[in-house]
Amino acid sequence: MRFVVLVKLKQGILDPQGKAIKKVIERRGEDRIKDIRVGKYFEIEVEESNKIEAQKIVEKVAKDTLSNPIIETVDIIQ
Amino acid sequence: MKVGIVVFPGTNCDRDVFWSVKLLGGEPIYIWHEEEDVRDVDCIILPGGFSYGDYLRPGGLAKFSKIMDKVALFADEGKPVIGICNGFQILCESGLLPGVLMKNENMRFICRDIYVKVEESRCVFTKDIEGKVLKMPIAHKEGNFWCDDETYERMKENGQIVFRYSTSSGEVKDEANPNGSLHNIAGVCNTKGNILGMMPHPERACEKLLGSLDGRKILNFVKEKRWARR
Repeated sequence: MRFVVLVKLKQGILDPQGKAIKKVIERRGEDRIKDIRVGKYFEIEVEESNKIEAQKIVEKVAKDTLSNPIIETVDIIQ
Repeated sequence: MKVGIVVFPGTNCDRDVFWSVKLLGGEPIYIWHEEEDVRDVDCIILPGGFSYGDYLRPGGLAKFSKIMDKVALFADEGKPVIGICNGFQILCESGLLPGVLMKNENMRFICRDIYVKVEESRCVFTKDIEGKVLKMPIAHKEGNFWCDDETYERMKENGQIVFRYSTSSGEVKDEANPNGSLHNIAGVCNTKGNILGMMPHPERACEKLLGSLDGRKILNFVKEKRWARR
């Protein structure tokens, strides 16, 4: 079973990387981009046919390994 | 005393720490991150570097190394643990220290001497130097300490803020903050005070040739026979 996990910085947490990218885009002449925030994208293949079980595994991994709950949020997409 | 220096794949300040501990009269040994136990050491230092290449997040993978469970048990007994730079990041990721170290506000890797003011705190390593200003180098891209307001207030109340970036005369202000750290925080400890995490490198400030001897004020305790402080 295949999942996609998105890890994003929580709202309000400063994202200097996103800011830097936005600045470069502005410098290249595009001034209509209002904001850019950088996150992480994971494609995860799980060897488990039970959907609920598979979801649980991904949730656990996403929470305790892929993200830091102090500053990041997790979205799981199947 | 015997000082265990934990080495992860990608650690690169292990030899500097070894050098300084030996110089100050301690007995350093290396502990590979896959080892089963921390042997009979009196103190553990997690040195700086790029454990696991900083993949995922700095310290985000090292926290799962086998030795880290043993480091947590060691610390739980009240024994002394210091995390320097990447070691600090690992301690935060492990939950042994509060907060997190994010990317520097200016997105740059910063490598230069800075000053920190030693705060009044519970930290067992800085009891004799509270109020002093120390000059040490920093070398990091993710040293921007952050935690939520509630955590910060609790840490302040508990005396867990150990170092703040300051001017050479000890003024804690924005201009002295190299990386955007919350309230200029450069080092914190746990509630018991036996676990210290810090971004500056004391091991790089123990030789006159390197421009400062202030690191000795923190690491000098290694010359004691055994860990006796509480």
